[in-house]
Amino acid sequence: MRILVVEDDELLGDGIRAGLTQAGFAVDWVTDGVLAQGALKGEYYGAVVLDLGLPRLSGMELLRRLRGAGHDVPVLILTARDAVADRVSGLDAGADDYLVKPFDLAELAARLRALARRRHGAATPVLKAGALELDPAAHVVRLKGQPVALSPKEFAVLQELMLNAGRVLSRESLERCLYPWGEEVESNTIEVHIHHLRRKLAPQLIRTIRGVGYLLPRGGAD
Amino acid sequence: MGSLRRRLLLGLLTATILAWSLALFLSYRNARHEIDEVLDGYLAQSTSLLLAQLGHEAGEIDTEHVPLLHKYGRKVAFQLWDRGHTLLLHSANAPDGRLSPVLEGFSDSLAGGERWRVFSAWNDDHTLLVQVGEKAAVREELGREVAAGLLRPMLLALPFMAALIGLAVGRGLVPLARLQRQVEARSPHNLTPIETSAPAEVAPLIRALNALFARVSSLIENERRFTADAAHELRTPLAAIRTQAQVARAATDEEGRRHALDQVLAGCDRAGRLVEQLLTLARLEAGQLRDGGACALRALAAEAIAQVAPFALAQGVELELASGAEATVAGDPDLVRVLMRNLIDNAVRYGGAQGTVRVAVERTGAEAVFSVTDQGPGIPPEQRAWVWERFHRVPGSAGTGSGLGLSIVRRIAELHGARAELEAGEGGRGLTVRVRFPAAPV
Repeated sequence: MRILVVEDDELLGDGIRAGLTQAGFAVDWVTDGVLAQGALKGEYYGAVVLDLGLPRLSGMELLRRLRGAGHDVPVLILTARDAVADRVSGLDAGADDYLVKPFDLAELAARLRALARRRHGAATPVLKAGALELDPAAHVVRLKGQPVALSPKEFAVLQELMLNAGRVLSRESLERCLYPWGEEVESNTIEVHIHHLRRKLAPQLIRTIRGVGYLLPRGGAD
Repeated sequence: MGSLRRRLLLGLLTATILAWSLALFLSYRNARHEIDEVLDGYLAQSTSLLLAQLGHEAGEIDTEHVPLLHKYGRKVAFQLWDRGHTLLLHSANAPDGRLSPVLEGFSDSLAGGERWRVFSAWNDDHTLLVQVGEKAAVREELGREVAAGLLRPMLLALPFMAALIGLAVGRGLVPLARLQRQVEARSPHNLTPIETSAPAEVAPLIRALNALFARVSSLIENERRFTADAAHELRTPLAAIRTQAQVARAATDEEGRRHALDQVLAGCDRAGRLVEQLLTLARLEAGQLRDGGACALRALAAEAIAQVAPFALAQGVELELASGAEATVAGDPDLVRVLMRNLIDNAVRYGGAQGTVRVAVERTGAEAVFSVTDQGPGIPPEQRAWVWERFHRVPGSAGTGSGLGLSIVRRIAELHGARAELEAGEGGRGLTVRVRFPAAPV
């Protein structure tokens, strides 16, 4: 899942990017509100981590503009202010969650997974498709109860397909979900990941819709 | 100071008693005068009656039969002298000698061991002298009785008067007592204005109290905000340290771990610097300037530049101190060096890479001016008033400063009676910060 981190503090922004990358997210990091606005226009993000005290365009103002334009990306506010009034005004401005500094990286990652899950209408933390289970928190995939070892990218591709089970995802949108800026994507890299997933799980698990993209049936590969 | 009530009571009672005493004395004197007039009139009247009587029948008067008609009768005596030498007739209570040596009109005399008031008169052919005397004790007794008559009701009224004054004073002091209760009942956190419909004498006191409350309240609010701001400002470096530490712990590659640990150290340095500046500011807020120090501004500027030089070198920024004469001002050299260092550090930090930061010390009239000019983006005029506020950062600037540097500068300037100003740098580019010190008398 691709995440946009908007944090003007160099040390903290760098830390969040590294930590979330370790947790399996694809992370883009910008340091001010105007850059964040541009990034959100051009890319598809699973969630946004937003600091409020930003240069040029404050986090709160950015949030208002996003929601005003009908943008539904889940936003988690990250701030040093913990007064109830601050939290209320943040949530009322359109934030989906709130985390006060200093925070735990694991908690930040868990909250981001929960936000993504809710966005796709899944209430349970473990994604299921037929006999296939994917636990985003534990980073574990099981087929008929047996764990299957996947590389981080393979895991990410499968997670994206399961979150969007029953929908066709284009190769480009899968690429955008998996690769932040600065990481080179080779032209056939998604095909390679899909190929590996089919080999490790089941050949019929992921359907190819020629000329359009890939699809994981809602009921899994029966 | 003592009690206001006691002072009022004492003052009012003393004044009342003094006024009463004066009135009493005047009444007494008046009464004595009237008594003298009336009794003198009777004395003269009696004398002329006697004379009229004796002119015809002096020889027939029997002294033994002069009747005693009134209790005061005993106190009145008369003598009839033939040609002023031979005593012809006298009342029983008259002394043996002449009543008065004065032979005409009123006189006061001493005769027979008594003091007398005497009226003397001659008959028409100047053959008979009549002297009628009255014991002076009569008049003194009358005077005493008049005085006692005046004094008695006053003495009776005095306790009532004192009680009434006490009541009036008590009632008059009610607004003060109410104010006292209101202030006593207050919690230390309640700094809202006192509301009361006070009389004109108490209203200024309440206004002054309310003004004090307002000042204390804004001071406390300021402190509270500062503490909250400080705590919040510390949260970001703490969050960075924690995050980087977690990244380091979870890192699987050596390079990633090393980078994260370096960032942890950088975060500690930042938090440390922030704490250092907070402490500096806290000390400055509380502190007073020590007397007697002297600051050679040029020498201090050179020291400050030397301190910042390694950082400037790392940033690729050129530092220079413009040539000129030394200027000495009164103040604390350590604090002035901190001020200079903060300003030079800011200029290097925000003045743009590869630029030049120019430091100058000049003497203009009664002022010694320290200035730092950079070639950076400057600060828009509408932002300049805000940058002195604690934790304020210029929007769009790199987020590594604490937002406290200029607050520290301003506070140090205030302590030295100096003014700190911002303006655009040379040719409208960059930023010049000037601190104008009042020059020490040479």
